[in-house]
Amino acid sequence: MGKAYTFDELLIIAAAREINDGDRVILGVGLPTTAGAVAKAMFAPNAVLMMESGIIDIEPLVPPNHIADANSCRGFSYATDLFSMFTMTYRGFVDVCFLGVAQIDRFGNINTTVIGDYLKPDMRLPGSGGAPEFIAYARRTVLTMRGGEFMEKLDYLTSPGHLTGGDSRKESGLFRHGQGPTMLLTTKGVFRFHEKTRELYLAQLHPGVTVDDVKKDVPWDLKIATELTETPPPTDAEIDFIRRFSPADSVGKKKMMELAMMNLFRQAEANNKV
Amino acid sequence: MTETACKIMTAREAIRRYVNDDDHLIIGNYTVATCAELVFEVARQKKKSLTLYSQSGIFDVEVLVGAGCVDRLISTYVYRAGGKEGSSAVERALKDGSLVMEDYSNFQYNARLVAGMHGFSFMQVLEGAMLSDLYNKRSFMGDDKYKVITCPYTGKDILTVPAANPDVCIVHVQRADRYGNAQYWGAMGSVAAAALASKRIIVSCEEIVEHDVVRSSPHLTIIPGFRVDAVVEVPWGAHPCEVVGYYNLDKLAYASFLLADLSAEGLADWIDQWVYQCPDRAAYLNKYAGIHGNKTLNAIRARAFYSAPANYGSAFTSCWDENGKERTMGVTLDELTAIIEHGGKNHG
Repeated sequence: MGKAYTFDELLIIAAAREINDGDRVILGVGLPTTAGAVAKAMFAPNAVLMMESGIIDIEPLVPPNHIADANSCRGFSYATDLFSMFTMTYRGFVDVCFLGVAQIDRFGNINTTVIGDYLKPDMRLPGSGGAPEFIAYARRTVLTMRGGEFMEKLDYLTSPGHLTGGDSRKESGLFRHGQGPTMLLTTKGVFRFHEKTRELYLAQLHPGVTVDDVKKDVPWDLKIATELTETPPPTDAEIDFIRRFSPADSVGKKKMMELAMMNLFRQAEANNKV
Repeated sequence: MTETACKIMTAREAIRRYVNDDDHLIIGNYTVATCAELVFEVARQKKKSLTLYSQSGIFDVEVLVGAGCVDRLISTYVYRAGGKEGSSAVERALKDGSLVMEDYSNFQYNARLVAGMHGFSFMQVLEGAMLSDLYNKRSFMGDDKYKVITCPYTGKDILTVPAANPDVCIVHVQRADRYGNAQYWGAMGSVAAAALASKRIIVSCEEIVEHDVVRSSPHLTIIPGFRVDAVVEVPWGAHPCEVVGYYNLDKLAYASFLLADLSAEGLADWIDQWVYQCPDRAAYLNKYAGIHGNKTLNAIRARAFYSAPANYGSAFTSCWDENGKERTMGVTLDELTAIIEHGGKNHG
């Protein structure tokens, strides 16, 4: 039996394991930045971590706040601009990128722009950022979804995944080296894309989750891997690393907020006494 | 340098002189080092009907939209939090019809500025985006949001975006000299392109340095002085956002802004307290220290991690060697003068 781990630690390590040693990696906001740091420290020392703001070969010492956070590192190897980050991706120099998802359809097309009508939205989401081009031209794309939803039809197609499935992506002739999305990580499991149909299927369940738990979120008849496995837990060494590097990620957002509020009250009290 | 006029002025004067109602205003910073004080000054002067460009518009866009300065927004990423119950100034304004917004991807937005900064009328962008609703769904840009042309060399379809040349850029950097040479380092984003594409440029900086500092580190200069209209020295000018080498993100102040921004009333109250009631950044910092003490700011001050200096030296800086002889011809200035006089004026 290994150490007790938190749910967030499980997700971080599941994302980190998509990074191979030597990969050139574009990290997105949130969980992927921690995942990238873990991978580089634990099992992919030759990975080159970069962010679309133009900071390349970073080794974060604290979790980056966002994709332009050079304060999280002690220097880095190459400072370029955003324009060149994308032309570099276009030319095939990026192995894997990580993107967050608000809505996803069965072929891995994603929406991060709007819920409802584009011009008169019910909810205006952040938007595309760099997603449409990263998913198009990075060799592999890992999607993460927390609190998003599976949709039969997206309200807005921000970033094209496997289009209408099958060979449709390849036949469009628009995507060069980019294989499109290769994995989707949610709070319930890990999904991959069928080799022929390019349809999303459930490949791994997180511990304690059932197939029915997953299926009730999906409006179509979700396919399940014939050899469905359980998401492997983080090792003790990985848990130790994540806790030291990003303690707030380890405990999860809710608990972090609770502890932070208590700390603020303590500080305010101490100030009042002075 | 011919334009040696000192361009140092206050934020108030710079915004009064160079930002007009109805302007296309661009935020030069991308995600970090947000030009908070210049943004506040635009709000204080109640500039109206702006078309606002911001590559990734969180703090800057929320404040300017919340203050009612913006009619049209061009961006790739705006703020929203709080799930179904959440909100943002942009969402509220889109819903009540006071704002229209055009979406581009990060690359396309940057490409419009790159075209603009180089004087081209359009830029090729990455063709995969033709299958995105970015292409299909258009707001006020209409047909001119994108055009597809045929590559004259390969015959393939090429997706293009039009050049952007905003009227005025406001941008915060680490340091600048009195002539406007602006030095910035860290995440380069689209900062240089945003400034250089614009017709007028207002630079704010953490500190004004001697011109010699700039001359010994030209690789850090992203905007040449001759393009800059105003230089404003504003320590903590990006707070609550961060500036590499100066200070980190103020998580407490930033979080309290985001919390206030969950409702229109909350944001209006925040803007009233921190923007309208503070005539300048010094007043803002005083107010901040009054509430939180100086400890909070001291805790986020950057500790130094200096770049290794680049050696810009050369073997010599005169044609005449230590014996007074010209290095190639081996004669002194007197000897050269005699040769010229002896040979007459018409040597060819």
